[in-house]
Amino acid sequence: MALSRTNQEWRQDLESTGDAQNAAIEELRDFLFRASLYTFQRNKADLANYSQEQINQLAEDCAQNALIAVLEHLPEFRGESKFTTWVYKFAVNISLTMARRERWKGVSLDDLMDEELEFRWQGGKGQNTNLDNMAVRREISDLIADTIRNDLTEKQRTVFKLIVFDEVPMDVIVERLNTNRNAVYKLLHDARQKLKLKLQSHGISIEDVVHLFQSEW
Amino acid sequence: MDNKKFNRLIKKIIDTEEEEISCSVCFDLVSDYVDAELAGIEIKGVLRQVQQHLGQCRACYDEYETLRDFVKDEDSSQR
Repeated sequence: MALSRTNQEWRQDLESTGDAQNAAIEELRDFLFRASLYTFQRNKADLANYSQEQINQLAEDCAQNALIAVLEHLPEFRGESKFTTWVYKFAVNISLTMARRERWKGVSLDDLMDEELEFRWQGGKGQNTNLDNMAVRREISDLIADTIRNDLTEKQRTVFKLIVFDEVPMDVIVERLNTNRNAVYKLLHDARQKLKLKLQSHGISIEDVVHLFQSEW
Repeated sequence: MDNKKFNRLIKKIIDTEEEEISCSVCFDLVSDYVDAELAGIEIKGVLRQVQQHLGQCRACYDEYETLRDFVKDEDSSQR
């Protein structure tokens, strides 16, 4: 079904007028609806309070929003992938964002942010854990705790806590803090860099860490 | 923090690179990445950066995984 048109035909028809364009838009809407519904079905727990009829309606809404996004971004399609793969990602992105936000609707991020961040590794034996390894793990854990406490900026600490510790989805943070994914990702990246440098400055090399943890990744 | 979460965090710290692509760039390229992966084409060049980003970003990873599986399902239903 998805092979009904070539990449070139898709673009041509969507950029034309009249019947050819209408037919292409309807076919595209159907593809986006299927992608959206598939996304919701995989993430049913996010929409636990929704009936199948409501989920279908939600998928219709997401497909419509994805259609608008696809048409807006059409000039950016480079033809490096199949056109259908390229359009599906808009439906998946919009649907998954909606599902995650729906799940976290009743949860206050303010409450989570007010909680003191107490980083402490609780220990526990890994597959190749001996006493020496435990000591290095403990040292790494202490260095991480120290860096989080003293070297991260307040913003870095906030998003780090919410994402790494509380496992809040990024799109929920983006919505509540009125920001965007790139900005949140940058804060996390900068925080990870500080943590990595701290470990290295204490003589803990990547090789050491890989040796210690690899079997558990 | 339990062992599993701790190990995951350590991996992310160790895999951190000085330059990483943003979520927007990842979104732009993820369809190329999925088609390359499903076609068994070697992941190289800028798609390596997509792979690195996916290892760090849960939001983008979830989208990638859903997209990949959906495309795979669609492809197999046409056969």
